[in-house]
Amino acid sequence: MRPTWARLLNKPSFPPPKTKWFHLRSSPRVRQFGDFGWYLFVIASWLPVVVMANDHFFELTRINGPSMYPFLNPDKDRSLTRDWVWTWKYNAQTKLARGMVVIFWSPFNPETRVIKRVVGLEGDIIRTKPPVPPGHVWVEGDGDVTQDSNTYGPIATGLIIGKVTHIVWPLHRVGRVNWEEYAEKIRHSP
Amino acid sequence: MARVGSYFLGHPWRIIVHSVQTCALAHYVFNHQYSFGWGYGPSMLPTFLVDGDIIIFDKHHRRGRDVRVGDCVSYHIPVTPDEDGVKRVIGMPGDYVLMNSPGATSDRMIQVPKGHCYIVGDNMPWSRDSRDYGPLPLALIKGKAIAKGQIVGCNPWKWFEPVPNGLAIEESS
Repeated sequence: MRPTWARLLNKPSFPPPKTKWFHLRSSPRVRQFGDFGWYLFVIASWLPVVVMANDHFFELTRINGPSMYPFLNPDKDRSLTRDWVWTWKYNAQTKLARGMVVIFWSPFNPETRVIKRVVGLEGDIIRTKPPVPPGHVWVEGDGDVTQDSNTYGPIATGLIIGKVTHIVWPLHRVGRVNWEEYAEKIRHSP
Repeated sequence: MARVGSYFLGHPWRIIVHSVQTCALAHYVFNHQYSFGWGYGPSMLPTFLVDGDIIIFDKHHRRGRDVRVGDCVSYHIPVTPDEDGVKRVIGMPGDYVLMNSPGATSDRMIQVPKGHCYIVGDNMPWSRDSRDYGPLPLALIKGKAIAKGQIVGCNPWKWFEPVPNGLAIEESS
């Protein structure tokens, strides 16, 4: 316990208390960069973890376009707020099913991500077109204003970044994405 | 060292956290900076051997960033997910390329669509490439091969040699 006058004036006690990182902080090698340098190092050491999580596990994504209207961005003509969704990225390119909402790199523009719904898996025949080749899926947007597989053909599953699992914003539509309902609507013969 | 030992000794949580951080750093380097892999298969003879060549990839060229005609790129094979390949880019968006090998029955040419490239192996009779599955989306490119070699001998500077751009126009003075 520090003396009362020291606590009132907020003066540091001597000797300084042992903090959580005392072992490393007190080593001369680390101390030469100061406390600020040490905190900078601790923050920097977590950046690759964030990068790995965003690359392979999950990401919060903002939906900009009208292609999934009215499932996503139903208020696109009334407000400027956009939907935020939770994307699951682990095993995103496998175990795909009809009806799933996926985010992938646009085949026409390799730096743009697009969100569409999986309509056909490999081997499926979509409206008198040739069967979807192996390793590819047929994707379509829900809305009318959409550039999808009808424009650029089936996409390789390697382009898929993640599966949309939850709507995070706006609050009144927060919840899991019930893609199974849409899978039943897609007419297909087994 | 004694301090580092006492920092980890008896603190399993610290060991786990720092292991995760180290793995994440390795992931960052191998996926965003540089990585290496073992080439396998006859499709890129004579640039890469059938077996045993170690190839170093520059991941800054992922998704086709700054890729030029003639570069060797590693890419996600579209028809067989989970497999990566190495081929040479012979056409970028807008270029006209032969759909088949030179001298094949058909001499049809196509224009490489927007956002795609045309890749062909150097050993054309033994290569599965764009001639089979069509133009490759640039977003499937994972990196560019910048060096190849084998770990033979004691001098690390002699292990690797650069992979040149085979189709670059030589400057003539």
